[in-house]
Amino acid sequence: MDSGVLQQLVNSLLIGSVYSLVAIGLTLIWGVMNIINFAHGEFLMLGMFIAFWFYTLLHLDPLFSIPICAAVLFILGAAIYRFIVSKVMSGPLLAQLVVTFGVSIFLANLAVMLWTPDFRLIEKPLLSGTWSLGAVQLSIPKFAASLGSVLVSAGILLFLKKTKTGKAILAVEMNRESALLMGINTERINALSFGVGAALVGIAGAFLSMYYYIYPQVGGLFGLISFCIVALGGFGSIEGAFLAGILIGFVQTLGGYYFDPAYKYAIVFLVYLITVWIRPQGLLGW
Amino acid sequence: MGNVTRRRFLIGGSALAVSMPWLVSETFAAPTKTIKIGGLYPLTGNLASTGLDCKRGAEMAVEIINGKYDLNLPLAKTEGLPNLGGAKIEVVWADTKGEPKNGQAEAERVVTQDGVVGVIGAYQSAVTKTASQATERLRIPYVCSDSSSPTLTERGLKYFFRVSPHDGIFAHDQFNFLKDLEKVKKQKVQTLGLLYENTEFGSNVGKQENKYAQEYGYQVVADISYTANATDVTSEVGRLTKANPDVLMHASYITDAILFTKTFKEMGFNPKGMLTMAGYIEPGYLPAVKADGDYVIVRSTFALDLAKSKPLVAKVNELFKKKYGVDMSENAARSFTAPFVFADAINRARTTEPEAVVKALHETNIPGDQVIYPWKGVRFDPQFNQNIYATGTLVQVQNQQYATVWPFEAAAKDVVWPFPAWKSRK
Amino acid sequence: MRTLTRRQISVFALVLILLILYPWFVRGSFPLHIMIMVFLFAMMGVAWNIMGGYAGMFSFGQAAFFGIGAYTSSYLLTTYHVSPWIGLLAGGVLAALAAAVIGIPCSNLRGHYFAIASIAFAEIVRIHFNNWKLVGAAEGLTLPILKQSFRNFEFHSSKLPYYYILLGFLIFSLLVCSWVSTSRMGFYFRAIKESHDLAKVVGINFVRYRLAAIMISAFLTAMAGTFYAQYILYLDPDSVLVLAISVQVVLVAMLGGAGSIMGPVIGAAILLPISEGTRVWLGYKGTGIDMIVYGTLIMLISAYHPQGVWGLLSRIEGRASSAAAAGASARPTADAHAGEQSIAGAGAGSGDATQAPPVEGGGAGRKKL
Repeated sequence: MDSGVLQQLVNSLLIGSVYSLVAIGLTLIWGVMNIINFAHGEFLMLGMFIAFWFYTLLHLDPLFSIPICAAVLFILGAAIYRFIVSKVMSGPLLAQLVVTFGVSIFLANLAVMLWTPDFRLIEKPLLSGTWSLGAVQLSIPKFAASLGSVLVSAGILLFLKKTKTGKAILAVEMNRESALLMGINTERINALSFGVGAALVGIAGAFLSMYYYIYPQVGGLFGLISFCIVALGGFGSIEGAFLAGILIGFVQTLGGYYFDPAYKYAIVFLVYLITVWIRPQGLLGW
Repeated sequence: MGNVTRRRFLIGGSALAVSMPWLVSETFAAPTKTIKIGGLYPLTGNLASTGLDCKRGAEMAVEIINGKYDLNLPLAKTEGLPNLGGAKIEVVWADTKGEPKNGQAEAERVVTQDGVVGVIGAYQSAVTKTASQATERLRIPYVCSDSSSPTLTERGLKYFFRVSPHDGIFAHDQFNFLKDLEKVKKQKVQTLGLLYENTEFGSNVGKQENKYAQEYGYQVVADISYTANATDVTSEVGRLTKANPDVLMHASYITDAILFTKTFKEMGFNPKGMLTMAGYIEPGYLPAVKADGDYVIVRSTFALDLAKSKPLVAKVNELFKKKYGVDMSENAARSFTAPFVFADAINRARTTEPEAVVKALHETNIPGDQVIYPWKGVRFDPQFNQNIYATGTLVQVQNQQYATVWPFEAAAKDVVWPFPAWKSRK
Repeated sequence: MRTLTRRQISVFALVLILLILYPWFVRGSFPLHIMIMVFLFAMMGVAWNIMGGYAGMFSFGQAAFFGIGAYTSSYLLTTYHVSPWIGLLAGGVLAALAAAVIGIPCSNLRGHYFAIASIAFAEIVRIHFNNWKLVGAAEGLTLPILKQSFRNFEFHSSKLPYYYILLGFLIFSLLVCSWVSTSRMGFYFRAIKESHDLAKVVGINFVRYRLAAIMISAFLTAMAGTFYAQYILYLDPDSVLVLAISVQVVLVAMLGGAGSIMGPVIGAAILLPISEGTRVWLGYKGTGIDMIVYGTLIMLISAYHPQGVWGLLSRIEGRASSAAAAGASARPTADAHAGEQSIAGAGAGSGDATQAPPVEGGGAGRKKL
């Protein structure tokens, strides 16, 4: 048995769980208000930059920036909803698709203007180094990111299922009109969900910043992959997004290992296309 | 009433839309007394910091030409071009944003609107391709000293000249180094792993390396092409670990250089040595990876320690540092040359008329002590317009500094080979 | 947007004459280049409209067809010395076939799903071309510089021939779009778009018409690709197959007014000069302000004026002419609709083609595919 495979399997889980966290935020927004947030990758980028600046200016390790990233992105998400996205909710479908593209272009280039296109790295995070476990080298920051993502995902699931607000969000996701009839303030829920979705991906950004390089366009590929993950998991399904994220982690890593690294993203997209043809509502979608 | 208004609106709107391009371009038509050269670089977009680097190098060169400096560089000691009455060079900067279609558009714009008599740039080979095709159609000379794709000088263009080495030369250098390593340092290498990013730059290097590997008799055990901005490279490194080559040859940009370095360390990938290109010598690499970048060997045209054998290098760097606050990088150093080659040719031609300048370029013969590289000089071969004296060196990162280690005769420091394993490093 | 009024026709004729005479007023290579870019994206916007604005399939992957067109003609030229004009047709056909191949499985997807599927498809094409040695992989294809002639589809001493050829292509696209719009196919498209379910009940064969729309759209986009290749004489995956191109096509159509024939032309006439202009004026300072302006514009248009410029103009006309709505039938006007789903009714005004009925809008209930 190829000893390298174990390493690849482990790494699949590591990258997959981070993808999952990114995707969960996106699927929440989609499920509640039917908007694909094309600026999701840029929210990730902002989370990474926030962690970076707190590290550079205030020597705060990314681990501790997590709540800050979450808070800032929450406010940003809710504000973007309130001032921009809410205006298109009653408009044509095309406008809804395009408006977040505008946000995406705006945010990425604002970052270029404010922080230059240079690449940044957090040089000495608290969590660094590798654990040697037999044939497998486990990167500590990646493991922490992965563990953190799983915990946060579980947390958000609990929030949605157990708290009053969470249940309200789920209600709106399932049937907007009924939720309205039951007296739920759907506008507020929309803003809240956008904020929470953004906060989740902001946290993912903080995790990623521990080992990935940071620059204004970093959100591009992550965003693209997260759209596929969400559609794969089934729009609106948190569990689906989580599973699909892990699945894509495997597809990407093993595809690259066995087939051809140059094609690994093409394989991801192909898997997405095939799944959606066979089962259009995704794996766990309604 | 509504219809009349609408028609007026439409007419007015169309007139405005149609005249906008004219308005945009009118602001740039201007008469000129100086000698204008177009400088095309990615001043915005992903490679903006590299574009800025290159721009600074060229700017510095123009300053030296236009001013009076006691340096052994062409036309440095006089102000401007003496044979044209001291006429000064002015660079018209154009932003390509890193896209080939803008390369063409900007090249045409600076020639037809700003009246430049020559073009330099554009760093990215794909952009240089279209820009130089545009200048070829317009019959304007183009001197490139910062793009490294071999294909640029294989197209049979008459107006395009390249001063700097291309990737074929760099790849060849790497293999000559391996041969020297065996002969002189008695270190044998048998298997190679080739790793390259999959745009034009990387895949070309991969092609060249495969070619030389066959010629020189090395066995290629891994041949991996990958996406430069991948989110994760564990699959690629996994394949490399499995193949276990003696030496890894890596052609990358800076982002993947950083990512791979981290992943190599994480997964404990320890080849005897690594020979790399481009990304590893970008100014952002070492600050990002710090000590993890030690021992990497990169191809280079320029290194600050050349000053040991060529004091000119130190003097130029001093000027550069005074003006911009940083040392000269390899990119700045490469872009530094093209303005000199142009100025020298125009000066000898005694005119800016394109055909005469091209003839003068063919007759270029700048001696080796007037360039800031370890070249024998600048002279173009008559068929491909490539500088026949352009060669590269290899530098190795030692204590987070680049030190020239090859050719051994010109080396400032001894090469460290084989590379210490990750575990035994600090 | 059904048959054009005499007034509209005379306006179009005027604009056309202006465009034909434009190079005589405005000399210089750069202004011509800007207009060529405007025409190029207008053409692609018109092509996009056929599947997006009319049939409701919002493709964010048009770059795939653009690239297939460009690569096909260029490959045939460089390897087999086939005339670019034949290559143009070949590229169009191949793109249409590719569209059919992707269109069949995707024909049931709607809205967001279709959009993401189109992105995935285009990315797969791009990654493949980037690694495909036959077409030069990442190095791309360099077209030979041939003697300038119409036959060779290359011109060097002036851009004028390119300008007029592309204007011709654009007019052709507009005619095709107009034909689609006023034909039975166009009628069915509006039906499909306004109510998927009602159309099903009436028995309109979706798949066939959707495929037709996608294929026509792909063919026209591929034509634009061949033009690009002959204009720039070099292409690689990053210049013809990137997502940015697809997005710009959608923006052009949306800004001008999706679902209207002239919309993309207006959209291109506004967006492209801004894009080129800000790069020239602001770009070299290196801060990306132009893209910030761009992004802001998109947000504002989507949020506050999604019907685009054409929609705005039509509102003005609509208000003026609804008073005199003696007209054709008792069809409901554009602004009237809350629940009315009339297949026969695409309404009197021009702006309604872009207004989706409530079921497709905000977060109502379960999303159907």
